[in-house]
Amino acid sequence: MSRMTFQQATVAALRDEMRADRDVFLLGQDIGRFGGPLRSTAGLFDEFGADRVIDMPMSEGTIAGLAVGAAMQGKRPVVDLMFGEFLALVMQQFLDAGAMHYYSGGTQSVPMVLRVKYGIGPFHGHAYDHHSWLVGVPGVKVFAPSNPADAYAMMRAAVRDNNPVLFMEHMALYHAGKGEIDPDGAANASAGSVIVRDGSDVTLIGSALMLKRALRAARTLEADGISAEVIDLRRIYPLTLDPILASVAKTGRVVLLSEAIGRGASINDLAAILAEKAFADLSAPITRLTAPDIPTPFARELEAAYLPSEDRIADAARRLVADQA
Amino acid sequence: MRKDNQVLEGMYRLMSLTRALDQVLGKHDGHWHGLEGEEAVTAAVYYGLRDRDVVAPHYRGAVTAALAKGADMSRLMAGFLGKSTAYHKGRHRSDVCGPPELGLIGLYGGSLGPPLGYAAGAALAAKLDGRDDIALAVFGDGTSSRGDCHEAMNMAAVQTLPIIFVCQNNQIAISTPLSGGVGGSIAARADGFGMPGHTVDGNDVLAMRGAMDAAIARARAGEGPTLIEARTYRVAGHFYSDAEDYRDADEIAAWRAKDPVARYRRYLIDEGVMTEAGMDALDADLVAEVNAAFETALADPVPDASALDVADVFAAEARG
Repeated sequence: MSRMTFQQATVAALRDEMRADRDVFLLGQDIGRFGGPLRSTAGLFDEFGADRVIDMPMSEGTIAGLAVGAAMQGKRPVVDLMFGEFLALVMQQFLDAGAMHYYSGGTQSVPMVLRVKYGIGPFHGHAYDHHSWLVGVPGVKVFAPSNPADAYAMMRAAVRDNNPVLFMEHMALYHAGKGEIDPDGAANASAGSVIVRDGSDVTLIGSALMLKRALRAARTLEADGISAEVIDLRRIYPLTLDPILASVAKTGRVVLLSEAIGRGASINDLAAILAEKAFADLSAPITRLTAPDIPTPFARELEAAYLPSEDRIADAARRLVADQA
Repeated sequence: MRKDNQVLEGMYRLMSLTRALDQVLGKHDGHWHGLEGEEAVTAAVYYGLRDRDVVAPHYRGAVTAALAKGADMSRLMAGFLGKSTAYHKGRHRSDVCGPPELGLIGLYGGSLGPPLGYAAGAALAAKLDGRDDIALAVFGDGTSSRGDCHEAMNMAAVQTLPIIFVCQNNQIAISTPLSGGVGGSIAARADGFGMPGHTVDGNDVLAMRGAMDAAIARARAGEGPTLIEARTYRVAGHFYSDAEDYRDADEIAAWRAKDPVARYRRYLIDEGVMTEAGMDALDADLVAEVNAAFETALADPVPDASALDVADVFAAEARG
């Protein structure tokens, strides 16, 4: 066991997979001697060299295209796309990669990982969260870990996964404290949604930074006598519904959290599923807290106000409980 | 330099087969994107590839590529018809999107350009694995305007990838003439990326084959990519029932007179490689083979529409 930051954990996971499997290699801009944006590949060039940590020109679409083509030949490429805003440049490639297994009649798999840094954090830029676009693409998985241990296990799982995976690395979590990593722990990809805090009055559901804020809100609510259950949506797609349905059946109230703008947000899908499958269990309307439908603003004050805060999460939960009191 | 007779006959067979197939499919469905006039390019480019070579073909000629790589003709036609026996089980058109297990990269998303990057990725895989297999990326003059095309060529040059880019320049992109889509020479762009670029008469199968041989040798030797611009002409419409109001009949007639199949037949007779009677007999055999394959495909079952199974969208979860 060792303690690592989220960033160190992702690099360690890549290192361990590259040691274990010659087919794993990295593609991206400035991932070699520079060490990757925000140190996302620190040390890997020194160990694995230019053949497996390949610096690329500024051609995101074709970098993703190379990964698709190499994955079709049995390699396991990991693309560092730098930032989530650049997803716009690789959408066609990801659309194709996601479709290939189905379209080929099950003969072609595309085992590749696309890493993106995103989210409002200390780096004050490239914050936009666009993962909802990819939730509309069949055949693509979306991972969004919230802590170093999950970042390690889920990155290993993503590399081994035989499908294209969008791997989201939140910049507010990236260097923000350490957690225990278990190198021998199973790279558990099947446990998508995980209940990380038990409660009985309301269910708070989010991933990455929203999950951290939900946990803090839950502690505040406890002081008010409200028991909040918190679910980490570690894998945003495909969803693992059972823990969510079980939780909503228990609490009857749900607050869905998103850093993406509300319009077209991936959590809207979850809201609709809950309305269909858990309507009878709900004792209050499904509540969504999202970013407003505007591009991510720049000034620190605007940036901070843009996301659902711990206080807003707690207030939303209090209102839900009070309405039913 | 003269090719050995096996190569010369093999390329003729592929040209004749392509024409026969084109006519059958075009007659069946007016939306077939025909190849008439461009058979010399596809025969020269797709003939004689190795099993592990990978091809991202242009949609116009994709069936020839698949057949050259060993695909079953009837199953390709089943792909055209959307039958359950098709390589892709009727989920996607496996005629223009050939079986990946034979090294064919398809037009999965229907967007022209990205497959050039996929072919470059296959070339990268060959290079990383220390194989001397190559990749081919074939595209039209229309696609040459895509950023994907420029990016893939630049990337291939930077990474010294074993790939050959072939622009099947038929001088028209649906209705946009070459002058409206390409500001200069496509082959000359190679210079800007630091790779050899050649303009070749695409109606001359031997000239095409010569350019391909040099490019293939270069790629297999690890010396990097080549761009070949094959100058040809789309004699038929964008698809068979295209009204073609956008172009001049005289221009079409002038190019029809340069038919690459007739031209190659004359060469084979003049050189004593094949006789006219021998070629006629081969043509007739191929037409019969194509018709039989098409009849089989027509009689094949359609997919069970209840089988819209989401399970197959994802591959089995993980490598062990």
